Amino acid sequence: MRSRSLAGACALALAGAVTMAATPPRGFYSASAAEEGARLYAERCAMCHGAALEGTHEVPGLTGKFVANWAGRPLGDLPAYLTRAMPQFAPGSLQPDEAAQLAAFLLRSNGYPAIDTAAAGTGSVPATELLPAPPRAVR
Amino acid sequence: MSHATTMDRTTGRRAVLKGASGLVGLAALQACAPGGRVAALPGPGVGGRAQARLVPLRITRDQLIDVKCCIRPLRAAGPNLAAETVGDTLVIHNYGHGGSGWSLSWGSAEIAVGKALTTLPAEIAVVGCGIIGLTTAVVAQRAGLKVTIYAREMIQRTRSFRASGSFTPGSRIALAEPAGPQFPAEWEAMARLSWKAFRTCLGLPGKPVDFGDHYALSDKPIEKRHWTPDPAITGNWRTTGLPQQNSEFAHLDERIKDIVPQGVDLGPDENPFALPYAQRTTQMYFNFPSYAKMLMDEFFGHGGRFVMRDFHSPAEFAQLPQKVVIHCTGYAARDLWQDQTIIPVRGQTGWLAPQTEANYAVRYKNVLLLSKADGVAVMNNNPDMGDMLGVGNSMELATIADIEAGLAIIAPALAPRAA
Repeated sequence: MRSRSLAGACALALAGAVTMAATPPRGFYSASAAEEGARLYAERCAMCHGAALEGTHEVPGLTGKFVANWAGRPLGDLPAYLTRAMPQFAPGSLQPDEAAQLAAFLLRSNGYPAIDTAAAGTGSVPATELLPAPPRAVR
Repeated sequence: MSHATTMDRTTGRRAVLKGASGLVGLAALQACAPGGRVAALPGPGVGGRAQARLVPLRITRDQLIDVKCCIRPLRAAGPNLAAETVGDTLVIHNYGHGGSGWSLSWGSAEIAVGKALTTLPAEIAVVGCGIIGLTTAVVAQRAGLKVTIYAREMIQRTRSFRASGSFTPGSRIALAEPAGPQFPAEWEAMARLSWKAFRTCLGLPGKPVDFGDHYALSDKPIEKRHWTPDPAITGNWRTTGLPQQNSEFAHLDERIKDIVPQGVDLGPDENPFALPYAQRTTQMYFNFPSYAKMLMDEFFGHGGRFVMRDFHSPAEFAQLPQKVVIHCTGYAARDLWQDQTIIPVRGQTGWLAPQTEANYAVRYKNVLLLSKADGVAVMNNNPDMGDMLGVGNSMELATIADIEAGLAIIAPALAPRAA
């Protein structure tokens, strides 16, 4: 009886944890920007980084280790880098809005959620905000 | 048992060809591989090192196992070895070695680590793990320092591993005018120190450094090329941001010709190839896999630590716990340090399956074949372009068709010599 109560308490605690985890995580980009970014990626980036962002032995893949390379840094660093340095064969050829769309696509591809426009309106995330790890590891 | 005898017994296709029996062997080879131009064969065997029974190189398309492309970081003023402070951190640069990173790695590391030692650190960080970063880390350890390397990749996945791997200390190392009058002597010191350091690696397991004969072949007499300014070209690096002709480059190899083997013309009796003119040079080269293992083993064996991380601005160097940082990111410094004086120079190599029994290199027209432990490097570089080939080109995707074309170009040079 006693152990059953304990088990019940544990179950409640777990349920609480699950409830907390189920709170919609913070979004980082607009879904439409990511969609446009996907189109741009196929056109400007996939030739080197691969259609599935898989990279090669020489060219960095853009998932997995990508998170380790960019998490903990200001969100604005990624589009700024893309604007300056990519595509490598024509650096500086991406417009700032295109770089932002590509960044949105890359975040989406790495498990970061889009901004819930119903809940948060069209507000954007400040470029100075640090990028956390994605809410859950990529399965 | 000689190596050649072993080959005769075990692999008929790669049999050492000599004299009449060689011709028979070659005929058999061609019968086995219709459509493929195959191999060289030696001369009539009347002495001389050049006739040391060359094993034929097999250069058919089916042997092509890889094409690698990379960007050399040519810096107009030569490698950046300056020091500066970022916050409370001393940053010593060691990047921008053009096509000479491998060849100058030890001498350049000596300078950078020497600067670090003047601040009496117990510990330093090295950012970047290509050939410059890893060598710098090892040199620092040999000076008694505790070293942590921070890099996106270990050496095997860096641009350094996409080089061709010959000792070419003067390849796109600087432009003469912006590098200044003091640069040639600085370069010479780095090249001489590196040469001696490479000699300490000879004969080690896996032959991280080795020598082989290099044959330049031609249909006409071979003359050393000199690049004189073309008065019709009026622009230059100062006015356009890019060199416009070969004469703008620093050409420094003459300064060390007393230690680096120079070309020797081969007479008809010494020439193992069918072409009328041949010149032999003995060349030092690097076998990447064993060389990387040698450095990594030493680095970790001396307690070195590797941390995978990326950097996005110089300010991040000041966040490292080590307060002396040697910056060795090569071409990546162009963006990371916003050093727009780094000029991309594209290069690519094809790789045939290893043929280590054929330890030599052959050049004919545009094409160079260099047989190493990790494969036979194939380069198809227009010699009329000289150092200008690939300048300003940062496209790092390989073009396999150029390598295939190169194999076709050099095939006649490897055709059998008439009896």
